[in-house]
Amino acid sequence: MRVPKRKYRVHLLDVFIFALVVAAIAYIGYRVDSVLVYKWDWSAIPNYLFRYDEESQLLVPNLLVLGFLTTLRIAFWGIILASVLGVALGIARTSKRLFPRLVGWAYVGFIRNIPPVPFLFLFYFFISSQILPIISIDEFLSSASPSTIQILEILFGPANLITNFLSGLISLSLMISAYIAEIVRAGIQAIPHGQIDGGYSIGLSRFQVMRYIVLPQAFQRIVPPLAGQLIILIKDSSLVALISIQELTFMAMEIAISEQRFFEVWIFTGFMYFVVCFSLAMVFDRLERRMAQH
Amino acid sequence: MEYRWQWYRVPRMFYRFIDGELIWGPLVKGLLVTLEIAAWSMLLTLIIGLVTTFLRLSDSLAGRVLARVYLEVVRNTPLLVQVSIFYFVLQPILGFNSPIWAGIICLSFYEGAFASEIIRAGILSVERGQWEAGSSIGLSRIQSYRYVILPQAVPLMLPPMAGILINLIKHSAILSFVAVFELTTEARNLVSDTFMSFEVWFVIGPMYLVLTISLSAVVAYLERRVRRPT
Repeated sequence: MRVPKRKYRVHLLDVFIFALVVAAIAYIGYRVDSVLVYKWDWSAIPNYLFRYDEESQLLVPNLLVLGFLTTLRIAFWGIILASVLGVALGIARTSKRLFPRLVGWAYVGFIRNIPPVPFLFLFYFFISSQILPIISIDEFLSSASPSTIQILEILFGPANLITNFLSGLISLSLMISAYIAEIVRAGIQAIPHGQIDGGYSIGLSRFQVMRYIVLPQAFQRIVPPLAGQLIILIKDSSLVALISIQELTFMAMEIAISEQRFFEVWIFTGFMYFVVCFSLAMVFDRLERRMAQH
Repeated sequence: MEYRWQWYRVPRMFYRFIDGELIWGPLVKGLLVTLEIAAWSMLLTLIIGLVTTFLRLSDSLAGRVLARVYLEVVRNTPLLVQVSIFYFVLQPILGFNSPIWAGIICLSFYEGAFASEIIRAGILSVERGQWEAGSSIGLSRIQSYRYVILPQAVPLMLPPMAGILINLIKHSAILSFVAVFELTTEARNLVSDTFMSFEVWFVIGPMYLVLTISLSAVVAYLERRVRRPT
């Protein structure tokens, strides 16, 4: 173990890595400056975060922030939807009866073994062309009162894009729920069997054993990986850009093409995701450590 | 539900006979590209994972910082954004013009982070006493690795490493975003050419399923072998 107060000795490897990093940065700088003759121009980025609205004389969010809000909305609703479905599937997978177990097994196996991208394409097409017309969201929206629309816009984003948003959200949640189902299953199976037997011995029903004994204990084991799943959901929400849901990555794609500023836009977008995911990871890490103390 | 199924057009996507000559269709070509990407990425992933683990376990401060920065950046940004940065930013800057290699390198850096975690866990799971035993009979650090630590650690790493190969196959679908002609790209092109969305995606899904499930079976077999006391 390292003694904290001892002075740090510089190793040969330190010097080597330092030289390597400096060389890499110098080479990239040289390529950008002298070979590509690229002029960095970050000035367009702030305009895409917020723009000045002439009519209302206010700063209003522009494409990047709007896309970012959509990403957060997807993450928020997605983790709720996926958790509900995932808990149901996880319970089904630990069921005593064969049928629910088989359904859960098939669902999880199917989704975890198909790449997210083809899955999203299939489900997006299926949901947007077959399911959403059946529940006729569009008609509901066109007949809704302005105040309802306003509330819906805060919750789900711009009214004209709600169908689009919903199909992306549902596809993504169906995908994430399979991973959450595995977390829930592991949490439930980690409960010692004596606990369940104890429940039965004092005359609780199967449902009551689940409700009062298994789930409260499993919950503690489920929460930390579920928090990690939220970060994964934020990252995976970038995939719905491929099916034209207007979240952060989609907006970045649009801006990069229209402004012809690929370097700045992509680096900045990566930075935005990094800040959100990294700070969430640190917060969750700290919370988990605090929980472990009790 | 109004949808006109045209399954009879699907075999043509795999192969055709023109003048008695067999011509492979886009789906077969795409599948081969996907496998090629997975194979090269697996190799690079192992190298990156090994180097990162070496840096993380080294005494050098710069090495540990570099490894930490790499891991945090890779873990906390979406793969799609990483692919974009490799394709739109690093590819022109470093001056190589090959989308497929930009994709392979990007995937390798992404999975390399997970591989390094697996390798590290494997090495750390070997007891401290084994190290001490190694040095007590006069082995150098490298010799201890070679004769004592790795023979015990590698069997533990194999099953999760096969999991990485499965992930590589799954994630290679993301490269369809940047003009790499792998299976998903070919499928998207077929969908836009023929408008047979359901048929094409219903064929693509099982193709990936066959690949990944057979690999999963290999993982299960390896895990059983590791657990068996020798």
